[in-house]
Amino acid sequence: MQLSNMENIILGKIITVTSGKGGVGKSTTTANLAIGLANLGKKVVAIDFDIGLRNLDMILGLENRIVYDIVDVMEERCNLAQALISDKKAKNLYFLPASQTKDKNVLERRKVKKLLLVLKEKFDIVLLDSPAGIESGFEHSIFLTDHALIISTPDVSSVRDADRVIGIIDAKSEKAKKGETVTKHVIINRIKPDMVEAGHMLSTEDVLGILALPLIGVIPDDEDIITSTNMGNPIINKKKSISAESYRRISRRLLGEEVEFLELKTKQGFFKAIKGVFK
Amino acid sequence: MSFLSNAFGKKKSSASVAKDRLTLILAHERVDCKLPYLDDLRNDLIEVIKKYTSVNDVKITSQTNQNVDMLEVEIILAKE
Repeated sequence: MQLSNMENIILGKIITVTSGKGGVGKSTTTANLAIGLANLGKKVVAIDFDIGLRNLDMILGLENRIVYDIVDVMEERCNLAQALISDKKAKNLYFLPASQTKDKNVLERRKVKKLLLVLKEKFDIVLLDSPAGIESGFEHSIFLTDHALIISTPDVSSVRDADRVIGIIDAKSEKAKKGETVTKHVIINRIKPDMVEAGHMLSTEDVLGILALPLIGVIPDDEDIITSTNMGNPIINKKKSISAESYRRISRRLLGEEVEFLELKTKQGFFKAIKGVFK
Repeated sequence: MSFLSNAFGKKKSSASVAKDRLTLILAHERVDCKLPYLDDLRNDLIEVIKKYTSVNDVKITSQTNQNVDMLEVEIILAKE
């Protein structure tokens, strides 16, 4: 078989980063995992699906380089190559910004599908940053996805909303309608090991028990993430950082590798977020 | 565990209170999620009931007991 034919067969994977509640760290997670996957040698495109509330650009530090956005591509006001922004640091990473239009219903199912299928041919991984809530933007980011990452912080409102979203994913997925399964994993963000130890915060086990889905990573509450967002330089680029290491491990797990879960530090010593290895 | 410590007068940790509250509320909310046809069913029922009575609303509540999912349909007839 010729190489050109081979390329047509191997399609990239769509991974959607989602949550029920807003402000739990979807865009931060998307940015870090996009860089993590690119650093592992995958050709990655990160797409901001939060129409009207563009944010992934600032977290990636690419806000000054935007000329065209996803709606321009879909309405054929420019071609795909013109709209894709290449990251300076991670050389396999491309970014497609959300449009800042006030009409959040501007995306059309048919056009979204067409664009995503094109991107699947060109990239190994298409990483979608879904908007919060369960409206049309969320549906667009789910319906073609192969793998959904549900982000939740260990608080009641975030877990409750995560549960609702999990219940809706299959109903909105084209894959699920065809009888195939959409892989789903939970990422627990902003956990405070000291509070968990003292019984003042839901533990990883508590959240997983309630959501009944497997874990793919735990990210500790980390002030350095705030400063890295201020600088437009995602934390994963930092070598010695526990949260950077968490993101690096999640990236490896996304590519199918078995990686042990991190130990998080507490005042008392070490605290294992969860026992065992990711499979 | 949390129930036992409660029975012995020990104060429950806020995390276990959160866990219990979440488990309870989600048990209710998941039923609605499992029955996406509920609204359509209600509308169809109303159409049928309207043929025979002057009632134009029905109340449908779902309950889950052990292994049985149950739908309760309540039709309140107006006084003549």
